[in-house]
Amino acid sequence: MAIFPLSSNFEGDFVIQLVVVDDAATMDEVASACAVHSVNRRVAPRPGKVMRVRRHSTGEVFPRDLQVKSAGLMPTETIDVIFSDI
Amino acid sequence: MSKLASSEYYDLVRTTNWTPSYVPESELFPEAMSGARGIPAEAWETFDEPYKVTYSDYVATQREKDAGAYSVKAALERANYIDSADPGWISTLQAHYGALAVAEYAAATAEARMARFSRAPGNRNMATFGMLDEMRHGQIQLFFPHEHTKRSRQWDWAHKAMHTNEWAALAARHMFDDMMFTRDAVSVAIMLTFAFETGFTNMQFLGLAADAAEAGDHTFASLISSIQTDESRHAQQGGPVLKILIANGKKDEAQKMIDIIFWRAWKLFSVLTGPILDYYTPLEHRKQSFKEFMEEWIIGQFERQLNDLGLDLPWYWDEFVRSLDETHHGMHMGVWFWRPTVWWNPAAGVSPEERDWLEEKYPGWNSTFGRCWDVVTENLQKGREDLTLPETLPTICNMCNLPVVGTAGDGWNVKDYQLVHNGRLYHFGSEVDRWCFQQDPERYQGHMNVVDRFLSGEIQPQNLAGALLYMSLNPGEIGVDAHDYAWAGIGKKNQAAE
Repeated sequence: MAIFPLSSNFEGDFVIQLVVVDDAATMDEVASACAVHSVNRRVAPRPGKVMRVRRHSTGEVFPRDLQVKSAGLMPTETIDVIFSDI
Repeated sequence: MSKLASSEYYDLVRTTNWTPSYVPESELFPEAMSGARGIPAEAWETFDEPYKVTYSDYVATQREKDAGAYSVKAALERANYIDSADPGWISTLQAHYGALAVAEYAAATAEARMARFSRAPGNRNMATFGMLDEMRHGQIQLFFPHEHTKRSRQWDWAHKAMHTNEWAALAARHMFDDMMFTRDAVSVAIMLTFAFETGFTNMQFLGLAADAAEAGDHTFASLISSIQTDESRHAQQGGPVLKILIANGKKDEAQKMIDIIFWRAWKLFSVLTGPILDYYTPLEHRKQSFKEFMEEWIIGQFERQLNDLGLDLPWYWDEFVRSLDETHHGMHMGVWFWRPTVWWNPAAGVSPEERDWLEEKYPGWNSTFGRCWDVVTENLQKGREDLTLPETLPTICNMCNLPVVGTAGDGWNVKDYQLVHNGRLYHFGSEVDRWCFQQDPERYQGHMNVVDRFLSGEIQPQNLAGALLYMSLNPGEIGVDAHDYAWAGIGKKNQAAE
């Protein structure tokens, strides 16, 4: 277990932010950690939607249970967190 | 005995390209400092400044200017304008002084480099006056705010800001160092005087002077108008240098210098001047929107000057024009949200009436940036100020050292232009910021922005308190909402009264 910094680009927000997670965290946990700094602060919650994480540079959507350390991300690499139906 | 008119001797006496006998020319004018680029001395002697002035005339004129500005200040001092001024206007003054006063001294160093090392005698002559100009600007912009230090410690940041690691000061220093401290004389003439001063200083000083007069702050209006008259003179050094470079086959090099520093200046003004003109200045005193100022002073005038010289518009011009609707809105929200990290009190500027104005000036504002402000306003109305304050850092661009921002809400388009260089991942707020880096990676690659420093452990403890300590922001200096949330229909003081 080690801390892993990411840059969170949250759907609807105006800025990208530093979010530090554990490298064992799943993508669902990453999305929740990112939401802390955007949802209910500058982004209205969207009930019924699922927050999904994708690689910012390619748009590749990560599986929800994929761990950060297995995603091939670089420290501070930017991820998008988007509202999705699935 | 009658004196000769200056026009009869000026060109002769300032032609001082003497032949050195004690040292070779290469030691008298080292390439690293002069930047002659192989262009012969005769070509540099064709430098013909459009504005010629003798030292005695210069001193007489400057004396009058100083007398004018200082006497307005003295006459109005007892009126205590500041005590009744809108808090948003106070913030404007504090942000302006902190970002620019000490930087004017840096500009004196840049002018001094031209005064000593330029191969063009006319450039050396003009730059001597330019150097004296910048010293005056540093002194006068430190002296004027000093009388207010008794009112709050934030005024002290006129002098303090540039000596700290506060993030906005760091961003300004990175840009000013790039443009003024680390370039040869020719590059300074092009980047500082042509691209920065002709392009942007006009707007900061003329735009702000107009708003100052409207706001009734005649002291500040006369101060910055006085400065602007110097700027419009010494900014004319770049044009003749550009003509020489173009005539000697160096157009591409000149164009690249303009393209780099124009963008860098734009980013800095998007965080400094944009919020001031569109959010801090009281609604009833706004002459034009930031975008309208940019269109008049930059798009109109700068474009014409480039054409006159036979230069091209920067390759990213369309993107620049597009970003006039976007970048400064994001920068403003960033400054407001991270308000504890600045030395002034940001004015939100989003009351219902102000939002109407923003929507009129920037159609679509309510459904984009307005969506974020909706959530902020609702939190304040529910008594959740804690949710309107930061708990992390924004991602910072490795070129402009400002947050990576874009359009929010329905038009969400925020993008990070990443680059892996020598194994390090860099972040950029735009394609142009990344392009600037790629033009000279060795120049920029070692710099650590605030987030890099945070992650490296340089900022301790690793929380907001540690960041404030690192930025030298003490109690009484850290920013709070300028209007105590009155714009949201609520205020802490009001709540306490209830």
